[in-house]
Amino acid sequence: MTDLLQLLFAGLSQGAVYALVAIGFVAIFTVSGVINLAQGEFAALAGLVAISAVGSGLPLLAAVVLAVVSVALVAVIMERLVIFPVKRMTTLVSLILTLGVSTGLKALMLLVYGPNAEGLTPLTPGGFSLGGVSIRYQELWILLIAGVVSLAVYWFYERTLAGKSLRACAEQPVAARLVGISLTKASLLSFLIAGTVGAIAGVLASPLYFTSWESGLTLGLKGFVAATLGGLISVRGAVLGGLLLGVLETLTAGYISTGLRDAVAFLLLIIVLVARPAGIFGRTAEARV
Amino acid sequence: MSLGVRGLHAGYGRLAVLHGIDLTAGEGELVAVIGANGAGKSTLLRALSGLLPLTSGTVHLAGTDVTGYGPEKLARTGLAHVPENRLVFPSLSVADNLVLGGYTRRRGPAAARKEARDRAMALFPRLEPRLEQAAGTLSGGEQQMLAIARGLMAQPRVLVLDEPSVGLAPRLVGEIFSALGQLRDDGLTLVVVEQNARAAFAVADRVSVMDRGRVVLEGDPAALSTDPRVAGGFLGGGFAADADAGADAAGAATPGVASGATRATERT
Ligand SMILES: Nc1ncnc2c1ncn2[C@@H]1O[C@H](COP(=O)(O)OP(=O)(O)O)[C@@H](O)[C@H]1O
Ligand SMILES: [Mg+2]
Repeated sequence: MTDLLQLLFAGLSQGAVYALVAIGFVAIFTVSGVINLAQGEFAALAGLVAISAVGSGLPLLAAVVLAVVSVALVAVIMERLVIFPVKRMTTLVSLILTLGVSTGLKALMLLVYGPNAEGLTPLTPGGFSLGGVSIRYQELWILLIAGVVSLAVYWFYERTLAGKSLRACAEQPVAARLVGISLTKASLLSFLIAGTVGAIAGVLASPLYFTSWESGLTLGLKGFVAATLGGLISVRGAVLGGLLLGVLETLTAGYISTGLRDAVAFLLLIIVLVARPAGIFGRTAEARV
Repeated sequence: MSLGVRGLHAGYGRLAVLHGIDLTAGEGELVAVIGANGAGKSTLLRALSGLLPLTSGTVHLAGTDVTGYGPEKLARTGLAHVPENRLVFPSLSVADNLVLGGYTRRRGPAAARKEARDRAMALFPRLEPRLEQAAGTLSGGEQQMLAIARGLMAQPRVLVLDEPSVGLAPRLVGEIFSALGQLRDDGLTLVVVEQNARAAFAVADRVSVMDRGRVVLEGDPAALSTDPRVAGGFLGGGFAADADAGADAAGAATPGVASGATRATERT
């Protein structure tokens, strides 16, 4: 029983990180149909920027803010340089372009930060034990911050004019243009959101799971699978998908074999694509974001 | 003159669809543009509202040369386009659809936004009890009303509508056209594109008949409604051309192109 609780807790905090990465996929895909394969690199880059900023003497919080802001900027620049100039964007073209960006970012990180994996200083070091379940403070921070960020994103799409305008672009791009919403600005805003949540995921995960130039690959893949569980168009689906994936992974690692841990994501992806391409947490095609 | 179109040519890639359209609508005038399926009516409205680049020609809106403006800028300048197939935002509430209709006026005075909304509600009281409902759950007629109301939220000087009657029961068509007549009486300039000539003739101040990318006839509705060329030639299926005019489209368009059009307008 304690084992199970331990695994569930670890799975939820891991899943919360996937959830944030998944929100990034959803934010971009709904607006422009772009599947951003550099989403994982946003997280890795943020981790590395924060680690090196702390290394050069910046206080932890300042380093985290710096990392999030710079990655958000990278995302925005990426949109302007790579997505915006394309006249007829299709999902296939977007895969090729963003794979290029992902590769470029990886090379850059390897060059600048070297090949080693490192962990960022945790927001609060250490942990405690509760009824036999050991809990690290950083895991609580992950759950808290990921929860607040997810709610904020949800609130943004449901309640603010800018959020509603993004949903309008996702649902009826022609009508959105006719009411005066600029699709190019909407796409830029969606990258800003994706860069920000991806970066937050990266700095939250780094103290526990470590960051290297290539850690964006698995994180991106898992975030993508989580987003797919929600049909790639629902923030709520992405969050639930992330948590489910995290829990299933730790349960698999705990009860079956640690070696199978990374296979869970692919298995889930195949099951979803075959059985329910609209996602298990996705509602109808209409109910986006 | 609220809207003036001169020598407008436009098309899709290498396919030229409009071959020099002239169209004017004076302030407070309701102009109907009728024509069979495939005549280029929707293309004309897309070109007017900046969705489609012009090959040549000019467009003036309330005294300003708006040739080459994109849709966002045109919406801000005062043109609202109620598109073919309504295109409401389905998962958003009726109220949110209206709010987004006023997107270009978001930094303008709140009083003007409220006035636009009150007017739209007075025009279509059926929407009032459905404000919190998702727009996708409305009936076809209600969606059309919402699409018009959304256009009015932009506080336009000129409202252009693409086949507001299509797929609606006659009673609803009457309701919608009487709303359009009321808007005209309040001083708004309207251009209504229709296949349903009967409904359009009943309220229009002037009528233009389009055929294969040209305006072939122009005049007041009373005179045109008795013109044999209107009844016989240009509407296909006769004067009560709310009947299926699909057969005519085949003459004006290659099948491949026509299906491309369907995909483009129905993209969700
Ligand atoms: N998106 C499009 N791409 C290519 N051709 C199109 C497109 N939309 C319309 N057309 C073509 O333009 C012509 C006029 O179509 P349209 O303006 O929709 O006519 P109407 O609205 O009068 O029925 C037709 O030949 C149609 O096939
Ligand atoms: Mg049409």
